Amino acid sequence: MAKSLEIRLRGISATFQHESRGDITAVKDLDLIIQPGEFLTLLGASGCGKTTTLRMIAGFQQPSAGEILFDGANVTNVPANRRDIGFVFQNYALFPHLSVFENVAYGLRIKRQNAAKIDAGVEQGLRQVGLQGLGGRMISELSGGQQQRVALARAIAIKPRVLLFDEPLSNLDAKLRVEMRSEISRLQEELAITTVYVTHDQEEAMAISDRIAIMNEGRIVQIGKAEELYRKPVSRFVAGFLGNANLVRGTALAADGGRVTLDIVGHRWTVATDATVTIGSVVDAVVRPEAISLSRSDGALPGIVEGRVFLGEKAEYRIRTGDLELLVVQWNPTAGELLAAGDTCSVNLPAAGVQLLV
Amino acid sequence: MKTEGKPIRVDKPPFASRITRRTILLSALASPFVQRNALAADSLKAYSIWPENYARPMLEAFEKASGIHVNFIRFSSGEALARLIAEKGNPQVDVLFGGPVETFTAGEEQGIFEAYTPPSAADLPPRFKSQKGMWTAIADDPLVFMTNTKFLQEHNLKAPASWDDLLNPAYKGMLQMADARTSGTAVTRIFSILQVNNRNEDAGFAYMKKLRQNIQAYTKSGGGGTVPVGLGQAAGGIFFIVDALFTRQKGYDVQISFPKEGIGSAAECLGLVNGNKNGAAAKKLIDWATSPDMQSLLAPSKINFLPAHPKVAPDPDLAAILKSANIIEIDDRWAGDNRKRIVDRWVAEVLNAS
Amino acid sequence: MTGVNVSAQPMAPHPRSFARAAGLFAIWLLLVAFIVYPLVMLLLRAFLADGGFTLDALFAALKSTSNLRALRNSLLLAFLVGAAGTLVGLAFALALDRANLGPRTARLIDGLTFLPLISPPFTTSIAFVFSFGPRGLITYDLLGIKNSQMYGLTSTFAAETLTYFPIAYLALRPMLASISSNFEEASFSLGGSRWHAFRTVTIPLIIPALANAFLLLFGCSLADFATPLILAGSDFSVLPTEAYLQITGMFDLRSGAILSLLLLVPAGLVFYAQERVVAGRSYVTVTGKASASARRDSLSTGAKVALLTFCVLTVALILYFYALLFWASIVQAFGANQTLTLDHYRVIFTEGLPAIKDTLIVAIIGMPLGGLYGIIVGYLIGRTKFVGRRAMEVVSMLNYALPGTIVGIAYLLAFNDKPLALTGTATILIACYVFRYSPTGIRTTIALLQQIDKSMEEASASLGASNLVTFRRVMLPLILPAFFAGLGVVFIRSMTAISATIFLVSIDWTLITVKILENMTEVALGPAAAFSVFVIAVVVAVTGLLNVALRRMTAPSLRISRIGT
Repeated sequence: MAKSLEIRLRGISATFQHESRGDITAVKDLDLIIQPGEFLTLLGASGCGKTTTLRMIAGFQQPSAGEILFDGANVTNVPANRRDIGFVFQNYALFPHLSVFENVAYGLRIKRQNAAKIDAGVEQGLRQVGLQGLGGRMISELSGGQQQRVALARAIAIKPRVLLFDEPLSNLDAKLRVEMRSEISRLQEELAITTVYVTHDQEEAMAISDRIAIMNEGRIVQIGKAEELYRKPVSRFVAGFLGNANLVRGTALAADGGRVTLDIVGHRWTVATDATVTIGSVVDAVVRPEAISLSRSDGALPGIVEGRVFLGEKAEYRIRTGDLELLVVQWNPTAGELLAAGDTCSVNLPAAGVQLLV
Repeated sequence: MKTEGKPIRVDKPPFASRITRRTILLSALASPFVQRNALAADSLKAYSIWPENYARPMLEAFEKASGIHVNFIRFSSGEALARLIAEKGNPQVDVLFGGPVETFTAGEEQGIFEAYTPPSAADLPPRFKSQKGMWTAIADDPLVFMTNTKFLQEHNLKAPASWDDLLNPAYKGMLQMADARTSGTAVTRIFSILQVNNRNEDAGFAYMKKLRQNIQAYTKSGGGGTVPVGLGQAAGGIFFIVDALFTRQKGYDVQISFPKEGIGSAAECLGLVNGNKNGAAAKKLIDWATSPDMQSLLAPSKINFLPAHPKVAPDPDLAAILKSANIIEIDDRWAGDNRKRIVDRWVAEVLNAS
Repeated sequence: MTGVNVSAQPMAPHPRSFARAAGLFAIWLLLVAFIVYPLVMLLLRAFLADGGFTLDALFAALKSTSNLRALRNSLLLAFLVGAAGTLVGLAFALALDRANLGPRTARLIDGLTFLPLISPPFTTSIAFVFSFGPRGLITYDLLGIKNSQMYGLTSTFAAETLTYFPIAYLALRPMLASISSNFEEASFSLGGSRWHAFRTVTIPLIIPALANAFLLLFGCSLADFATPLILAGSDFSVLPTEAYLQITGMFDLRSGAILSLLLLVPAGLVFYAQERVVAGRSYVTVTGKASASARRDSLSTGAKVALLTFCVLTVALILYFYALLFWASIVQAFGANQTLTLDHYRVIFTEGLPAIKDTLIVAIIGMPLGGLYGIIVGYLIGRTKFVGRRAMEVVSMLNYALPGTIVGIAYLLAFNDKPLALTGTATILIACYVFRYSPTGIRTTIALLQQIDKSMEEASASLGASNLVTFRRVMLPLILPAFFAGLGVVFIRSMTAISATIFLVSIDWTLITVKILENMTEVALGPAAAFSVFVIAVVVAVTGLLNVALRRMTAPSLRISRIGT
């Protein structure tokens, strides 16, 4: 297998001409390095520029500024058909007039491989996605999940140096989605092809990626491994986008040696942190719902249960304390006592594992 | 749908045969895009005003006699004349074949003919030939009244024997005759009416306007009304005898009659087109058609034109029918000179009268 | 991202392509030569006199009461045919889509409505001449009416309605089918009667389709020259026929040109209105994704019976007409000598053979050219961006939108002389058919392209295919149905149309339809009928083959309705 490839985006922007609104910049001066063999996900809400970025990597779209390097070679002006990529589309884009076999063989035929090689290549591709024996079917005879697999097989059959996915699972039902994403990730590991994956589903992103780049308004706002992003979001946006987060606002009362004491609705709360905080400044603390615990007994913070959703493996509470509303998750709730709406309780904020946004 | 692994093997033909095959194919494909030129020395082109079923047997007989093939297309007289005028710069045909004399006099005025006097012309009376030799008659074709027998019986009518009989309200909306814009039959009819009115145009047009009340439809071609009359869909009309007798031959029960005041007859002519490309062959056709060679074929072919050549005797049945007829002469010089004006007046005052 | 992509156009990665530029140039050249140039010549002939521009002739034509009457008659006829044809079409669409007919019955009725669309122009007229009137088979022999008239507005209107209603049916049925009966059921469940549901839900939803059908028929009738020529009689003159007689009879090209220009205004308005209606029509709100097997119970039994009776009677009438035509082709002399004979067929295959050959040559050459032209222009308009794209779309539609009489006269004027002296060749006939009837192929191509996501091309590119390979291996197969549709229409029209080409036949190249007209106006009804039967047989066979080919060669998901419509 060929050595994996490094992708480097250097200051790329993308501008669209809109009929009535003039120029729209979808991607702004974006820098990104994707390591050889890495699985990188571009995560963001619709309109954040993630698909545009992907399409520029593919060569479907020309950046209005900046350059794209594959292993150091500038491919900015190389058309898509000469970039050696495999692209999996949101709507699969399978050729409806061709059989499964011919769809997968399409790229191989373009490379003018001989019949035996094409047979073998298609065979391997279909096996890799678990569709052996279905080559003779027409596309319209396949289920959605099978079509997705054909699209995948078609993309990998040409043994591309880059694999690009544009929300490939968004048309599948929840269960199939989970199944397919582990398959994609298994395949990618097996093939070790540098992969860029676009999704708006944070769970999918976390499950599948080596690294996640969270995008907003045409820029990457944070990039890193899933647990880094979850644990140490750099902004309210990231904190809110990846998982649920309570933003607890307080005034710094004291700070010494990795500990900060905050005034939260009149109560003192001390957390361990490596952030540098100026005394007297207002600080937002990102507190994950599962990090907060509730008890009946007196605690630091008295609260009232405003609502409860019981979900089996967990219960979600809406707790009001002063003018602060907190989301609290209680895991394995049937093991302990369930609170009901209207109950008073005390809220125990964690003493560590909290990200302070200064 | 698998197509791989099945190479299609084609035995390559030798280069030369491929070339010829391709050449033939290409020229076959290209042929519609070029004008078909005169096919060979022994062929000519004609517009025929005679319908296919009259013209074809004659022209085929000509081919048999002379070896010259006549490529022809049929147009009604107005159309044929119009085309010849339009094509004056670059004529597409060599001969205008058949058709009433008024078409030829009108054409002569437009300069579409080239003078050629066939030997037989010497035998013909003056009304059968152009003074300048621009056209020569091959037959004579009187107009007749043709009426549906059943209609006459049901309405207790006799076959019309006078122009005024056609004004009978019993015929209201039941007569079909030709449109003067396209048909020579119509033009001959109009000139007949003017002639029996002593060329008093106002009187003639007054009559035609009255007749208009009884018209069901003006047809594009002279024979267009014959089948409706035969079927009884129309009661009657004014047609050339050749069309009327043909209708009867086909089995339709129709009466043929003549107005006592007289009715016109049109010499059926042919002429050499000016700027023709196959002059020799065309002249042979003219010689043949004006001579007894062709005209003696009319009767055996059941084509009910009267031969123009005095040496050819008409079909006895035809002669018998015509015995009672009062056929009047229309001065074709006068008709030719006034054709356009009269037709325009007819369109304005008769056709479009409401 | 997606939100932006929908409305904005991504920059094309490879803006210039020599092949495309050359193709564009060639297409423009053709459009100018065969559409723009003849129309310009027509306008010049109408408005240029004594070396100067003048509207005198136009004003004179407008002052003539007979012209104005012809114009008024044309508009009246077109309006009546549009309204009645739309209603008949709606009845058929309802019966076939909502009356729960058995599939066989439905297919049979559906198939028979196809007949008038593929018939030569005089078939209905011939049958009318035999069936109505003082001694008509229907009026006299069947109903005993003695003094009925077969010429005039009524019979022209009835004949045209019968000829053109299938177009309305074809325009309405898919629209009706796309309206989920859920809507009607919803209204029904809210306590409304079926009629109420139909009136308040279904009709408002198909109003655009009704308007479209009306305009289509209005245009057809406005342009129809053959039916009035036979049936209008002398008291009901219409413009296309008048223009034809003016030119063929008097060879007054100028008056003919001006008369045809009087048609231009209503025809242009109809075309414009139609564009507006089609453009404003929203498919999205109407498709409620009905389950295919759902029984549609939106018609009451009484309504079903009434509709079905009406449709069966209409179809029976059509069948009767064609039986009559066939009968006329195999008897010695219709109405006089009913001896069976093959004489008329012998005549058309001997004397008529040149016309048959010429017609087939013209149709067979025009067919692939028209199909190709249709998908190329359709692809350029539907999938590429270039300056003048909209102009190309409009120009390519012109000859289709204009009545055939105008197009024929324009060709006659333009190609009679240098620099393009084409009269007398088959080229002029082929060009006339290709440029007049390919817009169906163009529109089908554009419509198909709208269904084909851009990602198809991108997928192909990502797999290494060049633009050319992508076009050939992905786009071409996908728009193949449009190619076949284009082929079919050009072939059918080459076999059956007359309004434009009647001006263009010559001694070397004549057409079956012109022969039929010739035979019709002469006494030879037998050959006219035999020619018509032959044309129908050929067209049915060829469209049948094309439909088979279409089904074999195209993906099920991209099928279009049958060819020839």
